[in-house]
Order: sequence, then structure tokens, then C-alpha cells
Amino acid sequence: MDFRSLRFKLTLWYVLILGILLISFSSFLYLTLSRSLYRDVDHKLRSLAELIASESTSPLSKFDFGSIDQTLETSMNLKPIGKFIQVLDESGRIGRRSENLKSAQLPISLNALRNASKGLITYETNRSLRNTPLRIITYPVKEQNHVTKMIQVASSLEDVEDALNTLLIILLVTVPSILLIASLGGQFLAHKALKPVDRVTQTARMITSQNLNQRIQTLKVKDEISRLIDTFNEMISRLDQSFRQIKQFTTDASHELKTPLTILKGEVEVALRKKRQLHEYEQILESNLEEIDRMSKIVEDLLLLSRADIGEIRLNREDIHLTPFISGLTEQMKILAQPKNIRIHISNHEAEHEEELHILGDTLRMRELFINLIENGIKYTEAGGSILITLKKEMNGSVNPLMPKEKKPAAFVKIIIADTGIGIAKEDQEKIFNRFFRVDKARSREQGGSGLGLSICKWIVEAHQGEITVESEPGKGSAFIVRLPLYSP
Amino acid sequence: MRILVIEDEVKVANFIKKGLEEEHYAVDTAFDGESGLYMSEVNDYDLIVLDLMIPKISGLEVLRKIRINKNKVPILVVTAKDTAEDIVKGLDSGCDDYLTKPFEFQVFLARVRALLRRERADAEPVLKLADLTLSPVTHRVIRGETEIELTSKEYGLLEYFMRNPNKVLTRTMISEHVWDYHFDSMTNVIDVYVNYLRKKIDKGFEPKLIHTIRGVGYILSPSKP
Repeated sequence: MDFRSLRFKLTLWYVLILGILLISFSSFLYLTLSRSLYRDVDHKLRSLAELIASESTSPLSKFDFGSIDQTLETSMNLKPIGKFIQVLDESGRIGRRSENLKSAQLPISLNALRNASKGLITYETNRSLRNTPLRIITYPVKEQNHVTKMIQVASSLEDVEDALNTLLIILLVTVPSILLIASLGGQFLAHKALKPVDRVTQTARMITSQNLNQRIQTLKVKDEISRLIDTFNEMISRLDQSFRQIKQFTTDASHELKTPLTILKGEVEVALRKKRQLHEYEQILESNLEEIDRMSKIVEDLLLLSRADIGEIRLNREDIHLTPFISGLTEQMKILAQPKNIRIHISNHEAEHEEELHILGDTLRMRELFINLIENGIKYTEAGGSILITLKKEMNGSVNPLMPKEKKPAAFVKIIIADTGIGIAKEDQEKIFNRFFRVDKARSREQGGSGLGLSICKWIVEAHQGEITVESEPGKGSAFIVRLPLYSP
Repeated sequence: MRILVIEDEVKVANFIKKGLEEEHYAVDTAFDGESGLYMSEVNDYDLIVLDLMIPKISGLEVLRKIRINKNKVPILVVTAKDTAEDIVKGLDSGCDDYLTKPFEFQVFLARVRALLRRERADAEPVLKLADLTLSPVTHRVIRGETEIELTSKEYGLLEYFMRNPNKVLTRTMISEHVWDYHFDSMTNVIDVYVNYLRKKIDKGFEPKLIHTIRGVGYILSPSKP
């Protein structure tokens, strides 16, 4: 048996507590019983002594004649069985005795004599006579405030002691037996109660990243252990899910990289199968360069995201006045929009409210965020469409109610980048921020995206304690809404 | 031999098409599952090269639908999905071979040849009829002791004939297996090419191998029909 095991500890505590309870109960029982038995004896002795005393002092009594037994029987109709009576004079000399004493005398101690001379009653236990313990009362009889004689009444304590001894034996046998049985029972119960814990341990030990689909068998009864099992299973589920996500991410990443690799390898291999014209080689090299660029973009974005995930990227936050910042970016983006004849407008509510919209942000990341979003708009908008960028201040109330209250800043800057493009289907809207999620794989590849742009946008916004959402209607266009905490310099 | 390539990645489809055409195959391309499936239903292909991650209808679905249609065309899956599970799933869904991206182009070609060979009873790597031999690997054509130089289309035509010897081949069948879907079968291009081929392999040799079945088409056979 393992002495450190919970089973042992539980049993030990159980037996210990039960032991203390049983021993105190037994002691209490024994002591009360013995006290009450002894008191009973004393009561009887005293009442008899009082009777004899009153008889002896009665002027009508014939106390001084005949034997005590006779006197008691005739005058009081008393026949005290098992009681020894002895009368002494005030100096302690023994006078008359009851017949059952025969030649023996009841012993009288010095202490009793002294007490009696002061008129006090003394109870004593004496074991010298006949080897049986005797309880003796020494009762002084007073006449006119003067002790004239002493009456001693004694009774054997044999019955009382026998009864108490029997009780003691019973207790000494039963208490340890009960404790023994209890410890066995306790161990059994602890074993039974803790068995599922062993099972949890075994399953937990077997679970590795390879078999996270395993679960611990749940119990029918809903107790603490079953709660533990449920909690454990939930934890495995969460682990399983995050492992799956990582696996999915790795698979997605490798797929993304495999496509350009396949193209590079295939094009070069086909080209090398025979001699070709110079312009054909040029074409292949140009195509290869495109694929290499695509791969570098994917790798760069992946690196950025993984560094963001482990919190390695520090934001260099400074005061950004958003209106000029975004107009500046928009001017640059117009070059990209021109070939498709897409117009970009900025609608600024700031001017109307004569209020400046500032945020505290990392200039580089903010550039990346808005360039990504505007570029996205250009990519998915047909020629001749338009992109509208709206800036406005928003007070707290209407922000995502899921965000913990204490984290909410008082006010936000709301930036809406709305295009008139192809839009995003409802079921895809929440997935578009997922890594490598593509609504239209072929289309977005043609545009040279890495599939990570919006994930990066989401990270940038969240790193600035903001939030990004999308509203879209297929065929009409999409609006990306960025909310960033307002900064008042 | 006519091959359909179903692959959404345009550049991948393009280099596969180019490489196959340089091996004298006629190649059609489809960029999504829906059009790929449609093309496999209306045309009679000798082989389909299929990517699994394609839009509209997934590659696995295309596979199953082709097999449900009782179409026994050999299918070579070429995909980036490379786990054992994926390969088993692909083969069990009805593909004949599975190649993971990125791949060696020469291995790809060898698998294409192997799948085309499987169609024939003898399954010998070199095609033979009387004293005429054609090697799909080296593209060498030999009649008796003489090596014969053929153009790409002539080679394609002869390979199709030699894979279907002693069988009457209609002009439609020839157009479907030797030319891609840009070909207009109403012209007499087939007759022109058959005549070119006949001049090269039958002129000066006995027995004559290519015979015309009037009003129907042609047959490649050592004996006159």
C-alpha cells in the first residue's frame, strides 16, 4: 500500500475521526454510568443512615435495646439486605453492629472521625474488609448541637464494579473491532470512489498529440469525479481543436507554397525537354519570377503572422492624425486603381464636426492595414467601380457588445472602406479573416495574394485594441469597418 | 491520344498542356470541376489528368461522377494533397493513379504512358503491327529496317491507329482522339493527314497497312478487310 496515496489518507482520516468519536463516546458512557451508580449507592447509604439517626434520637425509640436489625425491623419495618450497620460513640468506640457483620468491624478512618466531630458526613471506599470493596458512610448524630454518636452504614460495591467492568470489557472489545471494520470499509469506499481517478490517469497518460480523439468514459452518476472527467474531456477537445487548427494551418501553408513550386518545377522541366527560342526562355523566366515573388510574399506574411502570434512584434505607437494619413495613402493607391478605372473617394465627417480624428498607432502597420484593405477593394471591384472611404467618430455605445466593458475606450474612430465589387457570400463573411481562406481561389491567386492579407489586417487592428468587421452583399459590394480607439492628444 | 487536364491553376494547366502536346498528345484543359465534368461527358478522352482542389465541383466529386457514368477512362490525379489518407481516398474514389505536387515531369509522362498502355490487351511498352513498330517513349517509328520521320500530328494519328489495330476508326473517332476541341471535324483535314501518313509508312512497303473503308473511315490492319 502506498502511504502517500489519497486512498490511504482518506482511510486514515476516516478511522482517526471515527476513533476519536467512539473513544469519547465510550469514555462518556463509562464515566456517567459509574458516577450515577456510585451516587445511587451513596444515596441509599445516606438515607438509611439518616433513618437510623432519627430513630436513635427519637425519645420514644427502643434503639438502645436489642440488636440493630431487630430494632430496625420492629420500629421501622426495615430489613436492609447487604447493608452493614455499625454505631459508634462520639469518641469513636464501636457500639452495636448489625448481625451480618458478625465478628468483623467496619473500619473508620481518622479523616472520617475528624469530619464527624465537626458534624460532617464522610463517604469512603474501603477495600481491606473481606476483599470486597465497601462503600462506607460515616454519619454523625447531633443532639443539641453536639455530636453524640456516629452511625456507619456500608454496602458492598461488588455489583457496581462488576457491571462497570463488564461495560469496560465490552467497550474495549467493540471499539477496536468497529475501527478495524471501519478502516476496511473506508478503504473499500475510497477505492471505489477513486477508481475513476485511476482511469482518468490511465487515459491521460495514453493521450498524445496523435490520438486526441480519445475521451475518458463518462460516468452515469453526476458527482465530483464525473465533473472532473467532463472537465478533462473538454480540455482534450480544446487541445484537439487547437492541434487540428495548427495542422490545418500547416497543411494550408504547405499547399500555398506547393502551387508556385509545382509551377516553377513544371515549367522549367518542360522547357528543358528541348531547345527553345530565346523569347520562350524569357517568358518562362518571367513567369518563374512571378512565382518566386508570390512565394516570398507568402513566406514574408507567414513569418509576420507567426511572430505576431508569439508576441514578438513591438508596436511603435505614435500620434497619427488619420485624415491626412489616409488621404496620403489614397493618393498612392490611385495609381493602382487607374488601370481599372476605379475611383477612390474620401468622405470626412471630421470637417463637419470641426474635430480632429487621432489615433495612437504604429505608422508602418497602419499603412499596411489600409493599403491592404484598399488594395483588396481594388482587386475585387470590376472596372469602372468605386471605393468610398469614410471616417467618423463613434461613441462607445454601438460597439461590439462582446468586448469586455472595462476594455472599451470612451470613443472610437470608425473607418469604413466600401467598394462596389463582387461582394462576399454570407457564409464566407466570418471566414475571410481566417488564414489562407479564399472565397475564390483561382481569382485571388491571379491577383497575386498570399491568402494572408486579411489575417494580417485583423492582427494589426486587434493589436491596436480595435476591431475589424465586414458587411457585404454579393454582387453589390463589401464594406470593411475598422474601429480604432480615439486618441486625444 | 487525347487528354483532358482539369486544373484550376492556369499556369500549371498550361505547362502540363504544353509538355503533353510536345509528346504528340491532343490536350484540352478545363479550369473547374463543372466544365471538366461536362467535357468528360461530351468528348471521348483517352486519359484525364485531374486536380483535386478545384472550384465549383471538387476533384473527388468529379471522379465519382465520371465513374457513376460508367466511364472507364483512365484518370491520373495530380494534387498537392499528399497524406496517405488523401491518396487512399482518391484511389478508392476511382482514380487509376495518384501523383503529388510538385512532381517530376518525366515521371508524370511515364505515368501517362503507363495508363494509356493499360487500355490494351498486350500492354507492351512498344506498339507493334506486322513489321511496323512505334515507341511511345522515344517516339521512334520503324517499318522493317527503316526509321520513319513523322510530324507531330502524323505521329499522334499513327499512335491512335496502332493502339486500335484491326478496328474500323471513323473520322469522328479520329478527330476526337487525335485533335483537341478547337478542331473543326467538318473539314477534310483528317483525310489529308491519313494520306500523309500512308505515304510515309506504306509507300514502298508490303503489306499495305492503312485501308480506307468507304463512307466510314479507316482501318489499320496487315490484311485487306
